[in-house]
Amino acid sequence: MRFAKHTLAITAAAASCLSPAMAQDTMTIPVVIKATTASYWQAVFDGAQQAAEKLGIQIEELGPANETQVAEQISIMENLISRRPPAIVLAPVSTDALAGPVEAATEAKIPMIIIDSGVDTDKYAALIATDNFAAGQRAGHALAGCIEKTQGEAAGQVAYLRANPNGESLVSRDEGFLEAISNYPDIEVVDNRVANNDTAKAMNDTLDLLNRYPDLRGIFADNQLMGDGAGTAFAEQGAGESVCLVAFDSSELEVDFLRQGIIDSLIVQDPYMMGYAGVWYAHAAQQGVALPRSVDTGVHVADTESVDLTEFSGLLDPSQREMSPYLGMSPDSQQ
Amino acid sequence: MATHEANLPAGRTVKKPTSHRVAVKRWRLPVETLVLGLTLLLWGVMSLSTSTFFTTNNLINILRQVSVDSIIAFGVLFPILIRGIDLSVGSVAALSGVVCATLLTMGLPIPVAIGLTLLLGVAIGSLNAFSVYRLGIPAFIITLAGLQAYRGGAFLVSDGTSVFGLPKEMASFARAEWLGIPSLFWTMLVIGLILHFILSQTRTGRYMVAMGSNYESARRAGINIKRIVFFAYIVSSLAACIAGILLMSRMSIGSPTAAVAYELNAIAAAVVGGASLFGGRGSVLGTFIGALLFATIANSANLLGIDSFWQMVATGVLIAVVVYVDNLHKRRQSGLK
Repeated sequence: MRFAKHTLAITAAAASCLSPAMAQDTMTIPVVIKATTASYWQAVFDGAQQAAEKLGIQIEELGPANETQVAEQISIMENLISRRPPAIVLAPVSTDALAGPVEAATEAKIPMIIIDSGVDTDKYAALIATDNFAAGQRAGHALAGCIEKTQGEAAGQVAYLRANPNGESLVSRDEGFLEAISNYPDIEVVDNRVANNDTAKAMNDTLDLLNRYPDLRGIFADNQLMGDGAGTAFAEQGAGESVCLVAFDSSELEVDFLRQGIIDSLIVQDPYMMGYAGVWYAHAAQQGVALPRSVDTGVHVADTESVDLTEFSGLLDPSQREMSPYLGMSPDSQQ
Repeated sequence: MATHEANLPAGRTVKKPTSHRVAVKRWRLPVETLVLGLTLLLWGVMSLSTSTFFTTNNLINILRQVSVDSIIAFGVLFPILIRGIDLSVGSVAALSGVVCATLLTMGLPIPVAIGLTLLLGVAIGSLNAFSVYRLGIPAFIITLAGLQAYRGGAFLVSDGTSVFGLPKEMASFARAEWLGIPSLFWTMLVIGLILHFILSQTRTGRYMVAMGSNYESARRAGINIKRIVFFAYIVSSLAACIAGILLMSRMSIGSPTAAVAYELNAIAAAVVGGASLFGGRGSVLGTFIGALLFATIANSANLLGIDSFWQMVATGVLIAVVVYVDNLHKRRQSGLK
């Protein structure tokens, strides 16, 4: 047996070893994500599904269509709590608004595994997420690096597109981005636009930004739908050459733009691992296993040169994701 | 107002549509002029206060941005004219984009994929009309149901994510220009001219206005109500369908979250452009001016760096003020107080 490199994998596997697959066959863990319409969240489901298969349990895929639908996600949580599932994996769309439902679930003795972004309470079993502030910083440095490469110096005007000013992960990202940019005294953040998680609006906003600031050197798009929209606008205007674009996540469209050089860098998170570890932790927590309080799943920066490296293939396309053999054991082989 | 007319003896109602049409003409001018004036004023102010507004590049951007919204609004105008409504157009646009993209990624030739998608639009329009005319379901309700159902359909077809991998020709259509004008705008222009012609020059168009002004007298005058209802809802769905395909081409993905709440923008554009939600009043040109005003506001807010939230507030206030001024005018002219 080979040893898994990923510490998270070890903990998860160790946790599961304490209860070797004697689980009831019918156990179903609900996984509530933020937006069923973004491929990022489909990757979370893929990972969750994979973990469920290996644990011999099932998951239930839930979530509002869009990240801005706070009330819908609260309703989903309220319905779940009344059904009393063994555990819940939740990616909260709002840090404040979902705090109540998370506390209610914990008080109802349903272990809560929070994934992707934090929530404004400490009554949960574990948090498995990207450190979004740090990820935003990576984006800021990537944008500055790109400007330095194309213009010869890290100087000029930049702007950023915000998907949703209500999401904690997005706000942290934006703050991280601004913090990183503040290290470059000659780069000035001139504007930001809120595009309500609407790709077409992101596209129009990008066109208007490019037009308003003819000397704009860079744009940062803080999630996948913003990246899709900004990239499409760049393609329409042929702006890829002179203006740097750094975006979050990795939809097929974004990766295509990255290959073409329209997007210069993608900040790639590990949604697959969030889903995978989320379900695994939920399963373990339900058996009373003590879990680490918080786990950072990390980010990677892919650029036009590195996009086809094998280390990114599983991150950019979850269908190519291979978990290490240590995690790959089926419940049957453990017996 | 319509109720006492309906009580008139059958013989006298025949000429009602005619007299109403005269009224329509008298009414249409002020609100369209008002909105056109507002739009031009905004263009003037923006041209003077920024160096970026009155540039070829920006004007072309506005033309691109207004095209899809206008096409949806033209469609919605038709049910509104006959005192109906179509709330499903945003969802129909999303469903069409996703269906067309899926057909294209399955390897169907572009004309076939577009043709099949347009058939879907006709089918949805027919279903709406059938529900309104035959089943007697209020248009507001059946199209509200459609708003939910077709959005759900878009998610189902696309399995919840965007459909990626369109043929290059499809994605490049929306980026193309002819005589320096974006292809999207040409498409809108052609559709707008056809619909304007139908509305102002054909019997169908006049019957629609007559029916919206006074349903009962139009029916008694022997107008084929069924035909008009089907026509109006099919135009609406078909326009939404075309807009959805254009939006897909522009975004180069078929997105099930595309065009959320576009039905409300479309209705607002029609109403600000002089259409009455009580039927019988409205024009394609006015609707275009309404859509142009909203697109200009969005563009100006971006160029001036005004908070997106203020832009929403301003648009809302504008709708209320324009409709109020229009109503005030109407009351004065008809001698009501």
